[in-house]
Amino acid sequence: MNLYAFKRNIFDSIMFAFLASVAAVVIFQPDEYAMLELGRNFQFFVAALIIGVILTTLLNRAGFKTLGEQIFEPPYKKAQAKDESWWRTLHGWQLVIFLVVTLIVGFNVTGFSIYKLVDKDSFGPAMKLFAGIFDPNWDLLPRAVLKMIETIFLAFLATFLAIPIAFVLCFFAAKNIMRHPLAFIVYLCLRTVLNLARSIEAFVWAIIFSVWVGIGPFAGMLALFIHSIVSLAKQYSEIVETVNDGPIEGIESTGAGKVQTIWFAIVPQVLLPFISFTVYRWDINIRMATIVGFVGGGGIGSLLQTYQGQAMWPEVGTIIFVIAFVVWFMDTTSAYLREALK
Amino acid sequence: MSQPILQLKNLIKTYPNGTQALKGVSFDVKKGEFLVIIGLSGSGKSTLLRCINRLHDPTSGQILFNGEDIAQAHGKEVLSIRTRIAMIFQHFNLIPRHTVISNVLMGRLGNMGTLGSIFGFFSKTDKDNALKYLNLVGIGEKAKMRADNLSGGQQQRVAIARALTQNPEILLADEPVASLDPATCHTVMDYLQKVNRELGITIIANLHFLSLVRQYATRVIALKGGEIVYEGDPKNIDDAWFEKIYGAGAKEVHIN
Repeated sequence: MNLYAFKRNIFDSIMFAFLASVAAVVIFQPDEYAMLELGRNFQFFVAALIIGVILTTLLNRAGFKTLGEQIFEPPYKKAQAKDESWWRTLHGWQLVIFLVVTLIVGFNVTGFSIYKLVDKDSFGPAMKLFAGIFDPNWDLLPRAVLKMIETIFLAFLATFLAIPIAFVLCFFAAKNIMRHPLAFIVYLCLRTVLNLARSIEAFVWAIIFSVWVGIGPFAGMLALFIHSIVSLAKQYSEIVETVNDGPIEGIESTGAGKVQTIWFAIVPQVLLPFISFTVYRWDINIRMATIVGFVGGGGIGSLLQTYQGQAMWPEVGTIIFVIAFVVWFMDTTSAYLREALK
Repeated sequence: MSQPILQLKNLIKTYPNGTQALKGVSFDVKKGEFLVIIGLSGSGKSTLLRCINRLHDPTSGQILFNGEDIAQAHGKEVLSIRTRIAMIFQHFNLIPRHTVISNVLMGRLGNMGTLGSIFGFFSKTDKDNALKYLNLVGIGEKAKMRADNLSGGQQQRVAIARALTQNPEILLADEPVASLDPATCHTVMDYLQKVNRELGITIIANLHFLSLVRQYATRVIALKGGEIVYEGDPKNIDDAWFEKIYGAGAKEVHIN
C-alpha cells in the first residue's frame, strides 16, 4: 500500500470511529460509570477504526471519493479529478456531517447556555466582580508595581540565559547542517527531545521547580528558562533550515571547516531573525510569567493568585491594570523593535 | 612534457536517487590551460567541477591532482584540497551582509585556525593580499562597501578575488557569466583570462556560449549525458559538432 493511501485510511477511519462513538453514546445513553470504562471504550474505538479502514478502502475502490482521499491524493490524481459541485460528492457531505456533529458535541460537553450568561442568579455575583475590578484599590499599586518589576526581570533573565544554549543547540537541530548519516541520528534524537520538552507547558515546569527550589521567582525563572530554550532552539533551527545554500557552498569551497562555514556563511544570514525572535520570546515570557506565578513561580502572578483566591476584587483590579499596561507596552515596543530589525 | 596538473580517470558519479551524472569521464589538464567544458544543462558539467574540488564525493574513478589521487580523500585532506583548487559560482555565493574586503578575506579560512578566524584575526599579509587581488580585478575602491550593494559583474569579480587569496593552483568556474548581461560577461571573462595568463593559474570553466568559448578557451571538452563527446580545439567545433553536442535543431546564439 502506498503512503498516501495509508494516510487517507487513517484520516477517514478516525473520522468514522469518532462518528460511530458519538452515535453509540446517543443510542445507548451510557451513565458516567460506563463512560469511565476506558479499556472497553477503547476497544470499541479500535474496532470502529478497523471498520473505518475497510469502509474507506471499499468506498474509494467503488469510485466514491472520501475526504481523506480528497486531502491526501497525489497531484497526478488531482489533475484527473472531475469538477463537481460539493453537494454531489461524498467528501463534501462527509465534511459537513463531521462539522455539524462536532459542533453539537462541543455545545454539549461545554454545557453551552445563553440562559446562564444572562440569568440574574449568576449575573449578580459577576456584577460585584466587575464593580470591584473597575474600582481598583490603588493602595496596592506600589506592591503590584514592585512585583511586576520582579516579573519583568524574571522573564528577562530566563530569556537571556536561554539564548546561548538555544544558539548552540539550534545548529544540531537543523536538517540542512546535519546531513552526514551519523549527524542525522543526533539531529533526530535532539528533535525528539525538543518536541517532547516543548509539549510540557511552562506552568508544568513551574509546578516542578516550585517543589524543587521552593515557591518564588527563582522557580518561575527556571520554568521559563527551560521553556525558552526549547522554543528558541526550535525557532532558531527553523530559520537555519531556510538559509540560502549559495554562501554555504561559497565558504565551503575555500576549504573552510564546519564551524567556520556555520559562522561565516550561516550566522550572518540568521542573525537578524534570531534577534527578532528573541525579543518576541521575552515579550511572550513576560505574559507567561503571570501564569507561571499563579502556580508558585513568584512575581505578579503569585500576588494575583492570593487576592483572587480571597475574592478581593478591587485589589485584583489593580493587579490586572498593571499587567495589562506592561503587556500592552511590551507588545508595542517589541513590535517596533522587531520592525526596525528587519 | 611535464606531468599534467590534473588527470581524471574513469570518473563516475551516481547520486543517491540513482541519477548517473557522470558515466566514466577521463581527461588530462595541463598546467596553465584555460579549459572550457560545454554541454546542455544536466549534462554533468556542474557535477564534474564539484567532484574535482570535492564539494561532491565521486562514486568511483580517480582524480590525480599533481599525481596524487584525491577522489577518495576525506576529512582534513578534503579541506586542504579545496584551498588549492578554488571555485567561483554562477550566483557568486558571497556573504551579502559582509563588506567586500571581508568577503575576500574569507578565502583565507582554510589556512587559519577556527577560533582565530571567528574572532577575525587576519594577518597583515592576508589583508594586503586581499586588497592587492581586489585591485587586480579592478574594484579596490569598493573594498568597504557591502557585497550586496554591488552589481552582478562586480560581485563575480569579488568572488574571483576571494578565490585568488586562496593562492590556488586551479580555479574552477561554474557558469561564471550565466547570470550576467552580455557586456559584463566579457569584463568578467577578461579578468579570468588575466588571472590565467598573468598568474599562471589553471582554469576549468563551464560555459554556455560558444562565442565565448572560441574567444577564451585554449581547449574545449563537450559533455553529453555524463560522457565526453568532443575534446579538442574550440575553433574546430563546426555546425555538425554543434548539433551533436546540443541536439538536432539547436541553433547557436551569438553574443558580442
